[in-house]
Amino acid sequence: MGSISFRNVDKVFGQGTGGVKALDDINLDIADKEFVAIVGPSGCGKTTCLRMVAGFEAASAGSVLVNGRPVTAPGPDRAVVFQQFALFPWKTVRENIELGLRNKNLPVGERNDLVASALKLMNLETHVEAFPHQLSGGMQQRVAIARAYVLDPEVLLMDEPFGALDAQTRVVMQEELVRLARHNPRTVLFITHAVEEAVYLADRVAIMTRRPGRIKEVLDIKAVRERENWDSHARIEDVMDLESFVHLRTHIWKSLREEKGFKDV
Amino acid sequence: MAPVASRKTLIGGMTVIGLVMLWFGLTTLTGLVTSARFPSPAEFWLSLKQINGRGYAGSTLVSHAFHSLKLVLMGFAVAVLTGVPLGLWMGWSRRVEAFVNPVFLIIRPIPPLAWIPLAILWLGLGDAAKILVIWFSAFVPSVINAFTGVRNIDKPILEAARMLGTPRWRMVREVILPASLPMIFTGLRLSLQASWTTLVAAELVGALVGVGFVLNMAQQDIYPGMILVGMVTVGILGWVTTLLLARVERRALAWNVAARD
Repeated sequence: MGSISFRNVDKVFGQGTGGVKALDDINLDIADKEFVAIVGPSGCGKTTCLRMVAGFEAASAGSVLVNGRPVTAPGPDRAVVFQQFALFPWKTVRENIELGLRNKNLPVGERNDLVASALKLMNLETHVEAFPHQLSGGMQQRVAIARAYVLDPEVLLMDEPFGALDAQTRVVMQEELVRLARHNPRTVLFITHAVEEAVYLADRVAIMTRRPGRIKEVLDIKAVRERENWDSHARIEDVMDLESFVHLRTHIWKSLREEKGFKDV
Repeated sequence: MAPVASRKTLIGGMTVIGLVMLWFGLTTLTGLVTSARFPSPAEFWLSLKQINGRGYAGSTLVSHAFHSLKLVLMGFAVAVLTGVPLGLWMGWSRRVEAFVNPVFLIIRPIPPLAWIPLAILWLGLGDAAKILVIWFSAFVPSVINAFTGVRNIDKPILEAARMLGTPRWRMVREVILPASLPMIFTGLRLSLQASWTTLVAAELVGALVGVGFVLNMAQQDIYPGMILVGMVTVGILGWVTTLLLARVERRALAWNVAARD
């Protein structure tokens, strides 16, 4: 189980007259095993939404629920993949992936099996004993994703995970994430400002307004994807060529363009 | 890599040889600098032979040097073992910082050497007073750099550790400590330097053995050759201990890209 609910969530940074309202009355329900992407202009508060689910920030008003219970603190049931990877530079690939399992006090044998399968899943088997600085950005993000997946979290929170990668690596990672998400579906909240990425990956896309961020519109991608059979195309560029894809993408683009603050690519 | 390194060694060696030649030229060869002001290489050598054979200021150079080294290492160890944990704790807890910082603000402007009279008054001319003064001087850089190290940890690293459910003690040992380690080592280097400076000063003021005591005696005997022996000995000891610390640092920070150059 891993549902997420935002109920009338406000977020104000700072206090009194100096306070800045970042989020205004956010309402969003994400069902178990659903993949939802939030897109929006820079500074609209989309990352703040994710950080509240993770337990890094508290809502100023309203409530953020995971499985119907209010979020109070960070925890391994809500694994986070950060934009800047946030790996532990002094730990090897294995040690990075292993830490969360050690914290769960799993027996060594079980731990090793889980780490081995996570390494295999993310094609990291040849870099087990490497330190993060010895890896490319794409490889580092694989480690971060493996570190999150190995926890078998109810909810996976991805904060612009491919934003720091070059274009080619990014495409490979997007395809891999689709493979993961389809084979081993789980609840994902995915933050991005890349429209195509959101349409390609998500079951639903929520569009936010500029600050103070509100949910402007939620699009059902999954219905279109299944109707038009996107998953029969292995390559991202083939999916992106489909008329149904282009249609959705353009719709989101136009919606974002209306927001003055939107200057991203 | 190797040719560049050996080239650097070569140039360094040539500089040293050049300096020795200049020294020889200014003293023995031309007599521009008289031996009352600065010893010639021959006089230096004679002083060295004397202190190694008959001894000077009560014992041989080796036992003076060994004694000073022992005190520095002890004072340094005490300073690091108390300073680094305090710095880490201050960095981690705003409350501890608020509590300790005022004390620091009052004590910090007092130069460590100004503690020497009080230390001698309390503990006499023996080892304890020296260790106390070294502790005072070496403590501060250890604390401050460990503190800064914790405060400079990348926020996402801490968030990742919390997200993974890392318990408190493991957090300190496996996240906070290694993440602060580069800064901690910067502190250790400064602490080590401070230890040597303070020790020599303390031995100059009041001691019965040690390299600083040799310097003090040689000054009173108006004995430039022996003064130079003392100075060179302190230089070599400081250099070797710094080198050893750098080796430890390289091993401990093998994972660190910035430290690899």
